[in-house]
Amino acid sequence: MMSFLARMKEMIVEIWKVGDKVGRSKAVEVIETEVEEMENIFGILVLGSFVGMPSPPMQISLDLMPYMEKELILMMEKVDTANEPISQLFSVFNIG
Amino acid sequence: MEKATNIFYMGKGGVGKSTSAALNSLFLAQKGFEVLLVSLDPAHNQSDIFEENLSDTPKQIVPHLTAVEIDQDRWIKRYLKDVHNQINRTYSYLTSFNLEKYFKVIKYSPGLEEYALILAFKEIRRKFLQHDLLVFDMAPTALSLKFFTLPSLSLIWINHLLALRKEIIKKRELITKVRLMKKEIETDKVLSKIEDSVQEYTALKELFEDQERTKINLVLNPDLLSFAESKRIVNGLKEINIFLNQVIINKILCDSSCEHIERELSGIPIIQAPFSETPLIGLDILTRFLKENEDVMLSQPLKVLMNGVK
Repeated sequence: MMSFLARMKEMIVEIWKVGDKVGRSKAVEVIETEVEEMENIFGILVLGSFVGMPSPPMQISLDLMPYMEKELILMMEKVDTANEPISQLFSVFNIG
Repeated sequence: MEKATNIFYMGKGGVGKSTSAALNSLFLAQKGFEVLLVSLDPAHNQSDIFEENLSDTPKQIVPHLTAVEIDQDRWIKRYLKDVHNQINRTYSYLTSFNLEKYFKVIKYSPGLEEYALILAFKEIRRKFLQHDLLVFDMAPTALSLKFFTLPSLSLIWINHLLALRKEIIKKRELITKVRLMKKEIETDKVLSKIEDSVQEYTALKELFEDQERTKINLVLNPDLLSFAESKRIVNGLKEINIFLNQVIINKILCDSSCEHIERELSGIPIIQAPFSETPLIGLDILTRFLKENEDVMLSQPLKVLMNGVK
């Protein structure tokens, strides 16, 4: 009897852990997308002159540029999905 | 003196900024002060005034007076080369390779001219801090105003970027905390660079605003055009909290009237420099002019002079 209860408890704990992981992961995914968007905005603000956007004084862009490879690549990637913002949003919230 | 005092000569093109800067540098050097005369005007005049071949390397003109003409293009190239090398070091080969073509045109970007002057200015201050006086012969109004506004303008941008970056890092830390159950300790290089820039631009802004360490002399002629532009300079500088040390009314003739200038710029010390019949070129002529007009040179409100001639 005890071993059955212990197994049940283990199972419930396991299910709880998996549920917690899934919940956390879902919540974090949304924040991750938000951070990615913010990094893209930061990239556009600093390196906008490279894609034809208004930008800060050139020396600010150039001073920060050596540390912004990630943002630069992200900006390039965003160009591909820029014409489908709604579908991107739907995939973030798992709609459809 | 612990730190060198900067003296800037500003004004409309052709009013005599370079000659005034040369005369005052020579005068102060003759009085025993250690003076470095720096031409920040891309169209240099000091070589012609002193009849010397000046360059980016300081050259002694007379005892206690050294002069240098800043090569703006060299500073732009040097700066871009540094950025390029840094990118090559930190970026993957492919990304850095794709950026090659941009660097060929960046040197023509607006804004780099005044930044090159700022870099040169910072280098001069660092190298010649032990001098008594650093005299800067500036470019005409537009470029000079851009030079002085660069720190304030950059700070507006950089402070906004700083706030956004901090927000990104806060969210990134949250993600790492949930995903990896611990806080990310790695420092963000972009944030560090932004914070360094804030410090640098703030220090520069404070240096320009500090009337003890930075003296700005406005040179103008009695004519209406140069006076109108001078008023714009005064207002432009006032907007960024920079105030004039003195106004030099240059090339005064016997019948010149300066009342309108004295009335409108009241509160700022004004000195009047006479027109010279002989072109002020060459050391002998400059020295003779100084002897004839010593009272004018001594009347400038410069603390080192007030503290007693060396």
